[in-house]
Order: sequence, then C-alpha cells, then structure tokens
Amino acid sequence: MKANAFAVLMAISLLLTCAVLGEQQQAAPVRFEWVNVFIDSKEKPLAAYQFELTAKSGDVKIAGVEGGEHPAFKEPPYYDPAALSNDRIIIAAFNIGKDLPAGRTRVARLHVQVSGVPEYAIKLVVTASADGKEIPATASVSQGEGR
Amino acid sequence: MTRKVLAVCGVVAVAIAVATICACGNMLRASKYGMCRMEIAPDSRQAPAGSMPSAGEELWIIEKPDQPAQADPNAPGSGSLMAKLPDAEKEVPVPLKHTDVKASISGYVATVDVTQQFHNPYETKIEAVYVFPLPTNAAINEFIMTIGDRRIRGIIRERQEAERIYQEARRQGYVASLLTQERPNVFTQRVANIEPGKQIDVNIKYFHTLTYVDGWYEFVFPMVVGPRFNPPGSTGGIGAVARGSSGASGQTTEVHYLKPGERSGHDISLAVSVNAGVPIEEVECATHAITKGGDPREVMTATLSRLDSIPNKDFVLRYKVAGKTIKSSMLTCRDKRGGFFTMMLFPPERLAALKRAPMEMIFLLDCSGSMNGVPIEKAKTAIEHALKKLEPGDTFQIIRFSNDASQLGRAPIAATPANVWRGLAYLASLRGEGGTMMIEGIKAALDFAHDPKRLRVVSFMTDGFIGNDDEILGEVHRRLGDSRIFSFGVGSSVNRHLLEGLARMGRGAVAYVGLDVSGGREVDLFYDRISHPAMTDISIDWGGMAVVDVYPKEVPDLFVGRPVILTGRFNGSGLATVRVKGRAAGEARTVEVSANLDDPSASHGGIPAVWARMKIAELCDQGLRTGDADVPAQVKQVALEHGLMSAYTAFVAVDSLTRTSGDHGVTVNVPVPVPEGVRYETTVKE
Repeated sequence: MKANAFAVLMAISLLLTCAVLGEQQQAAPVRFEWVNVFIDSKEKPLAAYQFELTAKSGDVKIAGVEGGEHPAFKEPPYYDPAALSNDRIIIAAFNIGKDLPAGRTRVARLHVQVSGVPEYAIKLVVTASADGKEIPATASVSQGEGR
Repeated sequence: MTRKVLAVCGVVAVAIAVATICACGNMLRASKYGMCRMEIAPDSRQAPAGSMPSAGEELWIIEKPDQPAQADPNAPGSGSLMAKLPDAEKEVPVPLKHTDVKASISGYVATVDVTQQFHNPYETKIEAVYVFPLPTNAAINEFIMTIGDRRIRGIIRERQEAERIYQEARRQGYVASLLTQERPNVFTQRVANIEPGKQIDVNIKYFHTLTYVDGWYEFVFPMVVGPRFNPPGSTGGIGAVARGSSGASGQTTEVHYLKPGERSGHDISLAVSVNAGVPIEEVECATHAITKGGDPREVMTATLSRLDSIPNKDFVLRYKVAGKTIKSSMLTCRDKRGGFFTMMLFPPERLAALKRAPMEMIFLLDCSGSMNGVPIEKAKTAIEHALKKLEPGDTFQIIRFSNDASQLGRAPIAATPANVWRGLAYLASLRGEGGTMMIEGIKAALDFAHDPKRLRVVSFMTDGFIGNDDEILGEVHRRLGDSRIFSFGVGSSVNRHLLEGLARMGRGAVAYVGLDVSGGREVDLFYDRISHPAMTDISIDWGGMAVVDVYPKEVPDLFVGRPVILTGRFNGSGLATVRVKGRAAGEARTVEVSANLDDPSASHGGIPAVWARMKIAELCDQGLRTGDADVPAQVKQVALEHGLMSAYTAFVAVDSLTRTSGDHGVTVNVPVPVPEGVRYETTVKE
C-alpha cells in the first residue's frame, strides 16, 4: 500500500510541476521596441495632427512618446490619457510657428513594450495647416528594437 | 510517512528544475561575491517564458552569507567615493546633481516645472533612487525624461503596471524612469541604467493652488523629506536611515540621510514669477535669501540666491496684493470635457467684529526626538504666548507626547494667573526625546469628557514627522466629537500633508511656525482666528451656473483671515452671481461672488487638473472616514482619465532606442541632509 501511495504522489508531483512549467510557457516574453510615425502632407506645411495607433496583433503597452525630426514637432507630443485607460493610443501635436515641415516627416516616436509580433495600424484623425484648415495627408509607421 | 512523501516530492521538483537547466546547456560559475552567474546559451531560446532567462541573459543566484558582509568601500553608495575637502566636511558624490525649479503664478494658481538632473559619477552602471517631497496638493500631470537632446514624455499608468514595465526595461538594459507616490507629498523617482559619466534629466510639471493666510498669498516649495518615526511593528511607513543603510528601518520606503559632517554636491536653483492680476505691494521670504526683480505692478520675480542653494528646508515666498479687501473670485477653464472652475471663497469681513464663546484650550505638544532643540523651543514659546492670552472664562490643559503621553493635571484647569504660572513651569520642564506615538497624544486630547459650557480647541504643535499619517487622520476623525483641531507645523520642513489633514479632519485651520520667524506672531494670528466665530453651515446657490462635482463636498467653516478653495464642473456662460449662505454667532450671513464665465482673463489651463486632484483628495478622505473599499478604484479612474499622479497611478518612461550593455548595475539611493534644525542623532537609524 505504501508503494501505491508513493506512486500516486509522484504522479501528482510530476503533474503539478508540468502544470507550473506549462503556465510559464503560456506567458509570452515582453520586449521593447520603437515605432516611428510619419506623416506625408505633400507640399502643404503641416501645423497640427492627431492620430490613433492600434495593434492588430500582439500586446502593446506604450511606455514613452518622443517628438519628431523637424524642429516644429521636436517636443514630445501629447497623448490622451482618457483614451489610454481604454487601451487606445491617441497622439496629437500642433505648432503655430512659421517653420513647418512639408512632405514626409517623422512626427513622433513611440516607445512600447510588446509581446508577440505586433502589427500596427495607424489612423489619421486630423491634419491641419497653420490657418486651421484641414489638409490631406497620409501616415505610415516603421518599427525596430534597441541596439 | 507524510513527511517522507513531501521530502520526495520536493526532491523530484528540484531534480526536474535542475534537469531543465542542465538541458539548456548553461554554464555555472562562481563569483567572488558569493554569487553564481549563469550565462544563458543560445540554445535556451525555447525555455519556458518567465521561468528562464532568454538567450544572452544572465541569471544571478545570490548566496546569503551567514554574517552580514562588510560594505564594499569601492561600491557606489557606500561612501567610499567621498572626496575629502579642505574643511572638515566630506563631500559625497551622489547621482542627483542638481534640481531646478521654475514656478509661474497666475492669480492663485501656480504652474511649477521641476527638473532633476541625474548623473553617474561612478565607474559602474547604476540605478538612482531619490525620495523627495512636493506640495501635498500638487496635481502632477506631466513627466518627461531627457537623454541628451531627446525628450521622452512619460506615460501615466496603473501603478503596478508601470512598476512592471519599469522593472522589465531595467532588467533588459533600457534607460527608464519611474515616478511613484508614497504619500500625497512624498514621491520616489527611479532612473535605471545610467551609464558611467552619463546624465539623464527628469522633468515633472504640476499645478497647485496657493494658500492665502492672514492677508498674504503663500507659495511653498518643499526641498527635503523630514525623518519620519514609524510605530513598532509597522512596515508600510517611511523610514529614516543613514546613508547606505538600506533596509535598516524595515519600512517599504526609506529616506537616506547624510551623516553630520557630510554634504552632497546636490544643490537647487529656484525662480518664481508672479502675475497676481493686481499690483503686488509686499514680498517676503523668511526662509531663504532671494533676489527680487520684475515689475510689482505686472510680473514680479523672485530668484533663490546661489548662496542659499542647499536643499534642506521649505522655500516659502509670501506676497501681499494691493487693496484693503480681497474679494472672493473664480477661475475657469473649458475643454472638450466641459467647464471646470475653482473659487477662492473669503469669509465676510463682519466676522471680525463678533466675539467668541469660552474655550477649553488643549495644548498638545510633540516632545519626540525630532522636535529636540530649536523646534521644541519654538513650540514652547508659542504655547507660552498663547497661555498668556487666555481669558478668565477659559480652561486649559497641556499634554505632551513622545513614546507615551502625560499632562499638566487630571483635567483642564481654569485660566487663572496662578494656573497659568503652573502651566508655564510645566512647559519649561518639557524636553524632546523618544519616538512619536502620536496616537497617544490624540487619545489624551480627545478622549476625555467634553465641557458642555466650552468649545474644545486643540492646539496641536508638531513637525508631523511620522510614517503612519493615514492611521492618525482616521483616529482624529473617529475621536473628534465637538472638538476642533488647529494644527501648528513647527520646523523648517514639516509634514504639511499631515498638518493640513489634521486641521481638515479637525474642522480647524493650520499654521506654520518656521525656525526663522517668531512663534508669537503665529499665535497672535491664531488667536485672531479663534477669537471670532467661524461662518458655519455653509450652503451655496450657484445662480445661473449648472454646477456638479463640487469639492470639497462639505464646505469647511470659514475662519477670519482664512479663505477656502472650492472646485467643480459647470455648464453655462455669461455672468453669474454665486450666493454663499451660512451662520455666524447664530446669525445668517451671505457672501456674494460675481463671475464672468466667458472672461478669458479669468481662465487658467491648470484648473481641470486642480479639480481632479481635489477630487482625489476628497476620495482619499472618504476612504479614511468610511473605510470604503471602492476608493482605490475610484481614485485610479480619476487619475488615469486626467493623466494625474496618485497613490494608485505612476508615470513611466522608457527609451527603447538604445539598450545598454551588461546587467542593470547597482542601485544607489540619493542621500539627503536632515532638515535644518533637526538633529540627525535623535532621528536617523544607523
């Protein structure tokens, strides 16, 4: 009987160990990457923008927002904290100065913690010129990991 | 048999774990520090996530020595890198080089930018940890980390999530920073992976309303957290430990203090500009040397002197504006969420003509070790002054507390000349030593039977250096009854969160007796305040404004010389007349406040943050009063929606562009001086 009890407990022990290891395997490892956001306003100078970034796949947590390459958008843009609490990343900035970028320019860099392989989608909410008029533009992203 | 089976199970589990590690082909080697470092070979990529480090990472198995190891004199934070100066003082290199403060005051709202410059003066990579104070009502809504010319805006997150992101970034070698709140006026800044010789700045921005005290607007910037006492058995407090003695206090948060004769290179610069909207008549700063500039009719400036740049006491700037009477006024702000307002509500002037009823005056004096020296002498002077101002119909009691509480007599005694002399003699015998069992003082002051003929007024003299603030405030609420508490902060860097909380919970008011001012003056003003009845039972008719979510929900009583600030949300536009109704000495009183809701000059962008911060404070008070378990969730929701710092949210910033090499390095706590006037020997654990 002692031998039977020992065998049962061994089996339980092995099962528990496997369960713990299995659970650990399910938690995906996290890493950090940057996401550059570009806006192309063609020939029109860009004075203001707002975009929403979503991840079609993977788990993405924003951990920092940096400004763009042009001096007009060098300062880190603002994010909407209320949207963030609903898992939405909405970023916006404006500049009322005269020196504004035209064509394709990096307006922001997002620092994110990710798990899985995220595929990003960007939606431009608005782009505007210095006189407050909406202008047509396109947006794109590129991503990479720290060196 | 059970014992044997358990042992076998344990062996099996360990065997499986060892087998898994060995199967990964890791190399294990001992280090000179009694640790084992394991390098993870590339073929360990398939190891279970979370259970095993990934390829190229290191796993350190730390062996706990039987005896505490001697501190490595060459390790950062151990003090070994001290450079001897020509005089007797030793300079300790610290990872916080400089703090720069720029404040801009418009109306009665201050916008403050604080930049903390961290650097690494050591030869190894470090994590810097700095525990520092900010005003208790600061609405912190911006956090930026600067690396070279790159500025990264930090993100507000639920606190535990922010901590997890920070720890992961730190572990993976990314530069990251984390700001957490330990108390409403105490914060911890962490900056990870600062490489040798590198500098990383952290910028914090906040709004707060100024106080208006007896004719003066007051701007306060605290510079150091005073050494707190924590009751035996507590672990969630704020410990005071000697530099390099992490863990000595047993508390979750620790402030590291420089020893006598040591100083750090950390200094502070501070500049304030004031646009009061009306000419400024007088400016004073009793705490620091300042240079005044600008035009007092438009924008006045005050700059901290370079000769007074050691951050070891509160900076207090006071100014008076033109005009005999300051009127109640309203500031507004509209955004996509709607309208927000704050209103500074002044008591009616006629209150000053009314006389008070007899009082049962209880002087409650903190005689703990942190009050030893100048602070307790200041407090005693203030009580002496107050004793001499008692009126014949009054009674009084003097209670002292440190490790325990004792008092002048069994019950309050009549304020006869002979009894006052007896009180003065008792007062002269009191000394500052021992712990701060504030609860004993609270019990002694509030628990005995009330005199139905007299209003009990507790004058509470303390520096507030305790770690169990919430417990004390909860006890005050439970025991207060019909008493009122007027708190006096005595010292150069007092715990304003506790002192303001005592006054708020105690339905009284707070005053501060700095080491550079006469305690007598504060007592005179205090007597002015309590010598006239307060305006009570206040209700507000908001006129044409559709007002919701007003905080504080219960409008505090209005004392002579002490306005209160209300904040809320509104709809509507144009002119509105707000009527504030209440009672003073049994008579009905009304105060009218005119507001132009469309006036751009009465608009301030910080008002929504101020509103959210006051809502959070109200929720926290509600939690203390009722023990409501939903409060943390409600606070978190408000803080996340408004991007605000709170006990349940935190700011995190990660630079994912560059990954530093090696592990995360050594954690170095930034040591700070004990506040001016406080003795290291009686307050800091070695």
